[in-house]
Order: sequence, then structure tokens, then C-alpha cells
Amino acid sequence: MATRKKVLLKVIILGDSGVGKTSLMNQYVNKKFSNQYKATIGADFLTKEVIVDDRIVTMQIWDTAGQERFQSLGVAFYRGADCCVLVFDVTAPNTFKSLDSWRDEFLIQASPREPENFPFVLLGNKVDLEPRAISSKRAQQWCQSKNGIPYFETSAKEALNVEQAFQSIARNALTQQNQTVDLYNEFPDQIKLTNTTNRNSNGDSCAC
Amino acid sequence: MDYELPSEFDLIVVGTGMIESIVAAAASRIGKRVLHIDSNNYYGGLWASFNLDSISNILNSASNIETNLEVKQFLTENEKIYQFGNDAFHMHTHSQIWHIPEKANEQTETEQSDLPTECIQKEEESWTQEKLLKNSRKFNIDIAPKLHFARGDFVELLISSNIARYSEFRSVSRVLTWLNGQLEVVPCSRSDVFSSTKVSVIEKRMLMKLLTSCVDGDEKEFVGYENKTFRTYLKDRKLTDNLIHYVLYAIAMATDTTPCLEGVENTKRFLSSLGRFGKTPFLYSMYGSGEITQAFCRLSAVFGGVYALSQPLNGLIFNNENKFKSLLCGQQRISAEHLVMGIEKLPKEFVNFTATQFISRAVFVIDRSIMASEKENLTLLLFPPEDGKNPCTMIEVGPLTGTCPKDTYIVHMFTKQTTNPEEDFKHCVERLFGNSKNESETGEKENLLPNVLWSFYYTVPNTVNLDLKNGIPKNIFVCPGPDLDLDYDPAIAQAKAIFNEIYPDLEFLPRAPDPEEIIIEGEDNNNIVTEGENLTDQPIDEATEAVADLQIETSNDHGEGSSGIEQGEAE
Repeated sequence: MATRKKVLLKVIILGDSGVGKTSLMNQYVNKKFSNQYKATIGADFLTKEVIVDDRIVTMQIWDTAGQERFQSLGVAFYRGADCCVLVFDVTAPNTFKSLDSWRDEFLIQASPREPENFPFVLLGNKVDLEPRAISSKRAQQWCQSKNGIPYFETSAKEALNVEQAFQSIARNALTQQNQTVDLYNEFPDQIKLTNTTNRNSNGDSCAC
Repeated sequence: MDYELPSEFDLIVVGTGMIESIVAAAASRIGKRVLHIDSNNYYGGLWASFNLDSISNILNSASNIETNLEVKQFLTENEKIYQFGNDAFHMHTHSQIWHIPEKANEQTETEQSDLPTECIQKEEESWTQEKLLKNSRKFNIDIAPKLHFARGDFVELLISSNIARYSEFRSVSRVLTWLNGQLEVVPCSRSDVFSSTKVSVIEKRMLMKLLTSCVDGDEKEFVGYENKTFRTYLKDRKLTDNLIHYVLYAIAMATDTTPCLEGVENTKRFLSSLGRFGKTPFLYSMYGSGEITQAFCRLSAVFGGVYALSQPLNGLIFNNENKFKSLLCGQQRISAEHLVMGIEKLPKEFVNFTATQFISRAVFVIDRSIMASEKENLTLLLFPPEDGKNPCTMIEVGPLTGTCPKDTYIVHMFTKQTTNPEEDFKHCVERLFGNSKNESETGEKENLLPNVLWSFYYTVPNTVNLDLKNGIPKNIFVCPGPDLDLDYDPAIAQAKAIFNEIYPDLEFLPRAPDPEEIIIEGEDNNNIVTEGENLTDQPIDEATEAVADLQIETSNDHGEGSSGIEQGEAE
């Protein structure tokens, strides 16, 4: 859509607690890594402008804010996602086993229009750590079985492959949005109480 | 993925209703350790939204949580335990009825319904239960629907606390009333008044003058009306019957007996929210009112609140001085200084009050709007009182709100209960919907009334005015359920009162820093929170300014409005 002024992509990151979701986001957006995050203030969402195929898009990456720990992410979290990033820890086999349930949960809660074509990206994080429990081959097989999900092995700590992974995430999210112009326009004229540009573009705001 | 909950908190909040969620967010926001826990597997409690499949599961669901666990083993000497839940404060279902056949090519079954089968649409594209249920997840059916005044307490709180970033809204596009046997658009903004063909030029002038004096609030204007009704005041101002109807029943949402000053206050509330976001003073939450509780919970989680749904809540443990000590979750004791809980979770032993007022509610899935037009509308309908019936508030939402599939609408109704929901809404249902009429009577005229596909009638006790402290241990705070207010004003006031009691002198939901303001540094920086906090003031001003840009029609404009009308008159 040529007329679309600004592209905002909503990306959500899912996976078991402790696999490095917050660290990956923080490494990608802020180029920072911390071994311990203060519990007083959690990660919310981070925003980064990226260029995909000569287009500037704003990627909004949403963290689970810890609500995944007791399977208590509400449906509101999933609304309007353009891409879902699944993360596991290559040294923790349980986090790999959970991937199926995270993917299912996403498809149920977000209920995208075409579930079989919705873009997921899989990240195997903590490749800097030993011993490794999940081989690259095993992860790739899982991706193959799910309609060819792109797979990246990352280390948030060493900033390994993080940039590349998120570039791919942005590309996939954008493709998704382009293909579902329909879906994108499903709810026009929404009002954000925070975002002024959004509101100004809202035709309803004119009372004349 | 089995984690264990920490066993000590500052505050435990049981139930994820609106008031509970606001308190949880406010406590986490000031750094308290909060556990927000619910036995339900969904957010929102009595304030939630459901899809079509799941709404049937909550019907008549008892709030009592039964356990086979021998709970005594978890107590120390002199302690006692009470089970969660009571029968007094839950919603009560009267009926949930399908008005369409289960499958295509099947004779209509209206077992529980007394409606004639001929009333069902005969077109090929007609709805079936199967077809609607296939779209189940496209439904977000509120059990406590709310609209938000554009300048009301709720919208201001969302903006000032920065929780607004978690939610999206649509503006209500028209306010309707029932007048002289049909639906009429209430002229509520200056432009509406101008363009209305139902209001004469003289009436326009009278109306603008009245609205201006209500907003300006000149005290002299209402001297002598302290003990009179708003209706008397409007009569004395020589308003025509039509205008009295619009102002009294729609703009002021009042009745014939509403005191004058209350009517004036209501009018102000309505007018002061005009011109901020749309043609009417109201907003509706995208995907339903149930999203709102989740926005507060999200903020709480971001500030460290621990969230756990679907938990086996086995009881509340008290010491011999009747002080709340711990919660028994599964086999784990979790302690906290204070406990906040939704009224429906209250142990029977503490039910020392009974609801004397009830709210009649109904939800209808229909196949077209109650008043069709080219564009999809989001409608507030204020049905005036008549023949001993209370005024009914109705909200019609369409697919653009993300609460129902294409080619359907949802109508919510609520009113102060007189007898039961079916009786209380009978006169509205008969006039608005087509099912009860014979198809041949209405014929194929353009104003075909919508058919009801599914209906749900229920009662909720109105607990907002109960003395919820009576006999309750000092460190427990009980949150009432949904009330009759159109917006969340009473809920916010309750939440704030509870917060102030637990944490006096601490700020209630100060502005949360934007994500970009939180710079998560490496180990060398231990001062993450402070950094965000320092930025508190300036961005708020920016936000306010930005909002000011949108104030197309402020209350002062009404003054200009009158002069505009004078010009019009000169023509």
C-alpha cells in the first residue's frame, strides 16, 4: 500500500521464563546485556526503526513482562501481532519441548486469519553456554515440520546473530502485513490515547 | 515449566476484576511486591469479556472452590482457614437462548423460546448456530460493558498513568433515544444541533442557551432549584417537550425525579467530554471492556507484579485475632501484609451484608444494526423511562470494535432491576428487534428490524453501595462488582480509596516511564528505576498539549455556538 505513511510492526516474543527473551530484545535495541535484571521494573516493549527493502519500518517488540511464568498472558497481549518470535535455551531441553505449546497458544489466542501462513521465527539462544542440549539439526527439523520457520542460533550475551535474527523478523512481519492488507484495515480509525499522529489521522475526530 | 510462587508478598490480590486490577497496578507501581492471583483461567472476573463458546461455560458457574484437600494440616496452632467463594454476589443467569437453527437445512428449534419459527430469516445466507460458533473467537462479549467519557476520570487516569499505551479505543458515533415511537439521534454536539432537522431554529437557540448555562455553572442560575427536579428546571426554562426529552433522558441520563443539581452535574459531565475524540463524548474499548483489566495487569506485571491465573485457591488463613496471615494455594502457604479481593471470592463467613439492589442485564447478537445506515455505527441508546419501567442503557457494537464477526452486531442492555431482566427489557426488545413480529407485517420494507440470533439475560447484584468493611478483618479489602455507571468512575474511586488506606501518603498511579526512558544498563548500574522516575514531569505536559490540539470543541465553544446560532437566525 503506497499510501500508508508509517509502518508499525508488532512483534511478540514467547518462550519459557529464563530463555533470554528480555536479553535478546535489550541487546538488539539497546546494545546492552545484563546477567541480572532488576525485578522492580520489567521490560515492557521496545521500539526500533529498521530498514527493510529500502523501507523504514518501526518495529515494536513486546516482552511477556513475566506473565508467561504461570501461563497468565492475557489475550490482550496477543492482539494484532505481525510476527511471533519463539525462543528456547539451547542448553535447556525443557524450553525446547515447550515450543509446541507456545506456538499453539499463540495461534489460539491471536487467532490470525491464516494460521498456517502466520510468520514465526525461532531463536535458539545462549549458544555461548555449554553443555549444549539441543542440536542445531534438531531445532531445524522442528522448524521444517512447522512449514519452514526460519531458525537462528543466537547469543544475547555476545551479540551473536541477534541483528540478523531481528532483521529476518522484521522482514517476515512486513510480508505478513503486506499480504494481509485486509487484516490491517480490519479496524480502521482506532484511537490511541497516547499517540498524537494516530489520532490526527482519525477522521472521526473532526466534529464538524 | 513448573515454577513455584514466592511465599511472601506485600500485597496479595485475589480476583482480576476491574477494581482489583487497578489496586494491583497501583501497588506494583510504587514498588510493592504484589501477587495477583485468580482461580479463573481468564482475566476480568465479573468484568470480563468472553467469546461465544466460553460465555456458556461461565453461566451459573459457582464461585465456590471445592477442595478435597485436608486443609487443616497446613495450619499452626490457633489458626483457622476459610474457603473462598460465596453464593451471594455472583452473577445469576436467567436464560441463554439460540434463536436460529443449529445447522443449515434444518427446522428451527426454539425449545426454550416461545418465538414463532416463521420469524427466522429465510434467505440462503441466514445464520446458523454452527456458523456463529465457527466464528466464536471473533466475539468478545462483555458481561459488564462500559463506555468512557472522553474527559472522564478513566480516560484521564489512563493518560496520566501511561497505561493508555496498552489499549485502543473507538469513538461512539451516535447517541440515540426513543422518542414518539421511534429511534431518534440525540443532537449532542454543536454541529449536531445545527444540522438536526428535528429541532426548529428557536429550539436550537433555546437548547444552546441551556447547555451553555449548565456548563458555565453560574450558581445564581439554579437558586431555588435545590429541592426541585431537573425536569421542573427544564420546564421553567420553557423548553419544548422534545428538547426536554433530549436533555433529560439522553444528555443528563436522568429521570423525571432526578434532582435539578444532579441533572446539571450529569449534563456537565456529558458536555465537557464533547469534541475530544469524536462526534459524541464517548469511547469504547477495542475488543471489549474486558481488555481494560488486562491493561492494568500488564502495567502491574511490568513493575514486577507476579501473575498467576487458574490457581487452586484452597483458602484464607487467619490467626486467633482474626488477622489475615496467608493464602493457601495448592499446598503452598503464601503470606502478605494485606489482601485485596473481589466480592465474589469472599468467604461465606464474612458475608455480613446483602445486596438490596440488582442490575438487570441482557446481551443480544443480532443480524443488523438497530438503526441501519451506510457506515457502521457505534451506538449508545438511552431508552427513556416509561410506565413504571426504569430507563435502560444500551450499547450497540459492530465488527469494527473487534467484538463480533462481520454482518452481526451485539446489543448490550442494562438497567436498575425492578423484576427480572426479561420483564425489565421486554418493552425495548419488542420495539427494537424483529423476531416477535410477523415477517409479513414488517414486510420487505427498508427499515427491517434486526433479528435476534442469540440472547442472554442475567442479573448481577449491585454491590457498590454496600458497607464492605462490616465484619471484615482489618487487613482485608473487598472490591465491589460492576455497578450501573456508564463509565468506570465509581470503580476508580473505590480502587483509589483502597490504595490510600493501605498505602497512605503514597502516590496513586504516577506516570509510568515510557519504555525508551528505561535504560536497562549492565551490572554497573543499580539505579534503573530512578532513571525513569526523573523524567516524570515534562512528558506529561507534552502529552497534555498534544491532547489540547484535538480539542476542536471545548466547553467555551458553546459560548461561540450561541453566537453562531444568532447569526443563523439573522438569515
